Amino acid sequence: MSFLTLNNIQKSFGPVQVVKNFNMNIEKGEFVSFLGPSGCGKTTVLRMIAGFETPTGGTLTINGKDQSALKPNQRNIGMVFQAYALFPNMTVHDNVAFGLKVAGAPKPEIDARVKEMLGLIKLDHLADRFPYQLSGGQQQRVALARALAVKPQVLLLDEPLSALDAKIRVSLREEIRQIQQQLGITTVFVTHDQEEALSISDRIVVMNAGKADQIGSPFEIYNTPATRFVASFVGTLNLIEAKVVDPDANLIQIGDQKITLKQSVAAQKAGETISLALRPEAGSLSDTARSDTALTGQVVSAHFLGSVIRTRMNVGGNVISFDMFNSPGVTPPQAGETVTLRFMAADLLVIRD
Amino acid sequence: MKAQRFGAWLAIILGASYFVIPLIGTIEFSLRMRRGEYSLDAYESVFSDIQFRETFGYSMLMALLTIVFGMLLVVPTAYWVRLRLPQMRPVVEFITLLPLVIPAIVIVFGYLRMYNSSSYLPMTGSTTGTNILLVFSYITLSLPYMYRAVDTAMRAIDVRTLTEAAESLGARWTTIMFKCIFPNVMSGVLSGAFITLAIVMGEFTFAALLNRPAFGPYLQLVGANKAYEPSALAVIAFSITWLSMGLLNLVSRFGKARPAKA
Amino acid sequence: MSTVSTPMVRSAPLINRDRVIDWLGIAPFIIFSLLFLIIPTLYLVAGAFLTPEGNLTLKNIGDLFTPSIMSAYWISIRVSVASALGGALIGFFLAWAVVLGGLPPSVRSTLLTFSGVASNFAGVPLAFAFLATLGRTGLVTMFLREWFGFNLYGTGFNLLSFLGLTITYMYFQIPLMVLILTPALDGMKKEWREASEILGATNRQYWTMVALPILWPSLLGTTLLLFANAFGAIATAFALTGSSLNIVPILLYAQIRGDVLHNANLGYAIALGMIVITGVSNILYLMLRMRAERWQK
Repeated sequence: MSFLTLNNIQKSFGPVQVVKNFNMNIEKGEFVSFLGPSGCGKTTVLRMIAGFETPTGGTLTINGKDQSALKPNQRNIGMVFQAYALFPNMTVHDNVAFGLKVAGAPKPEIDARVKEMLGLIKLDHLADRFPYQLSGGQQQRVALARALAVKPQVLLLDEPLSALDAKIRVSLREEIRQIQQQLGITTVFVTHDQEEALSISDRIVVMNAGKADQIGSPFEIYNTPATRFVASFVGTLNLIEAKVVDPDANLIQIGDQKITLKQSVAAQKAGETISLALRPEAGSLSDTARSDTALTGQVVSAHFLGSVIRTRMNVGGNVISFDMFNSPGVTPPQAGETVTLRFMAADLLVIRD
Repeated sequence: MKAQRFGAWLAIILGASYFVIPLIGTIEFSLRMRRGEYSLDAYESVFSDIQFRETFGYSMLMALLTIVFGMLLVVPTAYWVRLRLPQMRPVVEFITLLPLVIPAIVIVFGYLRMYNSSSYLPMTGSTTGTNILLVFSYITLSLPYMYRAVDTAMRAIDVRTLTEAAESLGARWTTIMFKCIFPNVMSGVLSGAFITLAIVMGEFTFAALLNRPAFGPYLQLVGANKAYEPSALAVIAFSITWLSMGLLNLVSRFGKARPAKA
Repeated sequence: MSTVSTPMVRSAPLINRDRVIDWLGIAPFIIFSLLFLIIPTLYLVAGAFLTPEGNLTLKNIGDLFTPSIMSAYWISIRVSVASALGGALIGFFLAWAVVLGGLPPSVRSTLLTFSGVASNFAGVPLAFAFLATLGRTGLVTMFLREWFGFNLYGTGFNLLSFLGLTITYMYFQIPLMVLILTPALDGMKKEWREASEILGATNRQYWTMVALPILWPSLLGTTLLLFANAFGAIATAFALTGSSLNIVPILLYAQIRGDVLHNANLGYAIALGMIVITGVSNILYLMLRMRAERWQK
């Protein structure tokens, strides 16, 4: 049975519906990311789990218990905010101790638990500092410790890394994941950064305009996007316009070149235009690369980015961008050159909107 | 959160009552001069009183002089500090806050001791001298407000760039000051001017102790001698304050709509 | 924001012409503030420590501790404390109501605009307004008598008293508190409340453990400002209670007018006492404000 269940959750603010029929089953100990652009509703869903917003429809259950009657301070949920939200009048120690103090725990127990938490985030030496004396990354770690100190059943993180420098973001997200796995706590992580979501999640929910477009593992989301939105939001992607030649044989035409797809286009009619997606890393110019099909075209431009060479080529009106690793013995292609991109037909994905 | 909102509305309603009722009371009282019916008799009495016209005019003139000479002092100073002497900024700001700390009665006490007939600068020895002293005292009193209004306006426009642009086009400093800086900080100048107007018109302490025929002492005199005219005067005084603040709001809204970032 | 550019040094002349001009530019202001603000005040301060003959003495300060003068200070302090506390409390609730009370934004802007005006509506007209409202024949007094049969003055209440003056003073104290406290309340981040709630705290616990501790420097500091504000005020009191309520500014006024104390230097000492009290209050206010701002970062 799933630990955190969202069943047909809806939320409207006046006439505007910001969350539409959101369904999700999260297992105990799972790390799930809500990924999407601003305004897609991901934070609203998170706040409904926390209890700061009330769903206009649907039910929310944690560990079998319906949460709709419970106020935020009754749900035993931990939350980390984008703006850290540490209490400025308290030291690090007192901030972390807050939840326990409010619950009326005895002082020795509080001190022991705070010590344990500060050890977990490796900031024991800063126990007597005030928030304004800490860096952003340190404050967020304290916020994490504060949320975990009360042993919550669910941990919610609302874009916790967005306010931090790029380098800290990477190290802190790994630290968060490591702590989460160590404690085995069910976690929901909201972000608009797809690299963040891909690198640390067990599963990702890609949200678009209030709907969950796709739920799956990072591997699934990246390699088999279900909709055009997911395909374009997660990673860079080539969108290719192709004409259906023979739907039953899965034969399509790009420019004047024909390719047999591995995916079925039987639902289409001959002559219709469809969109195909191809990842930049899927193709290669090398003869020895593993491939069963190819496209030939003219190089528009080639950019040397150091370890990667990003080339753009024109195939029947489509500009396809592909990446190759740099090799000292191989010169990058020149503009105007005719090149052949080799890839597996299975890498050409049919995109449904 | 229902209880919270109810509490908030309750606070507002009680607060509004406390503030509005005295205003209503004053207006009502001022209409009571004629026995048994409401009339504008008190206002007639006030407006026909020659002393009213004289003291009102006197204070208006003082206010005008305060604003003009005050701004002539404050605007170049604020400009100069911004441009050439940023290190003096804390000192100047501290000085402009002093009139808020040192009570007016203490300052005028100092004036009377220092500038009386037997001192180096016998300002109180003559009427003109005393009038000048009064203007200076009003400038001192409104210094915090004038300076803050002008300084805020200068912060919004980039005085440094404006000056350099004007200089590179060959302008002399008087031209820069009056054609470039003043017009652009006009909203700040007007804000400060309106607050100064309100302050000067109602001012009592300086005018009374320097024995000048200003509006403030006149108000107090009427209050001691007449029954209904004081309320009429209070209504007039309050209207002036409201008018000044209203114009101030208008000006600041106008000023905000204009600036195109350079 | 302008950056400082060092004036161009032209082959190191003896007197750097640019620097001289720099200081000349600010001279009018410095001269003016010296002549009409700083020196007159210092003159009084010095005079407090001198005898009429010009010798240094502490006698004047000592003379301050006579019963009549001490009672004047005491009444002033009491009126100022009362109107400061009253203004702070009511002002806090009004500011809280418009910032955190969930009221429509138009209420907030109306309150702030009105406060801007009302904080300047002091002096003689304010006394008249309250006389017209709570005086013996004032609107509210008559209203209570005619509609509720309640004789206000029969209870011993009198506008021309300590209580009356305090109520009148609050008319400009409350708006001042609202104006200064509203930005401080704006700075109370919504996330603090939510964080405290999700950690299990009740509304009361949030206020006692988080909100009030964060706000107290602003609250206390502004109360001190209100205190200093009331302490130095004279016009309203003069018009309302005349010389019957012997607060310090009125005492000083009488001294300036007619040397009622027959001791000019004692007058200086009284002025010095006023400056010390308002000065200390303002310094404490500034210190508390700096502290509050540091936390709000």
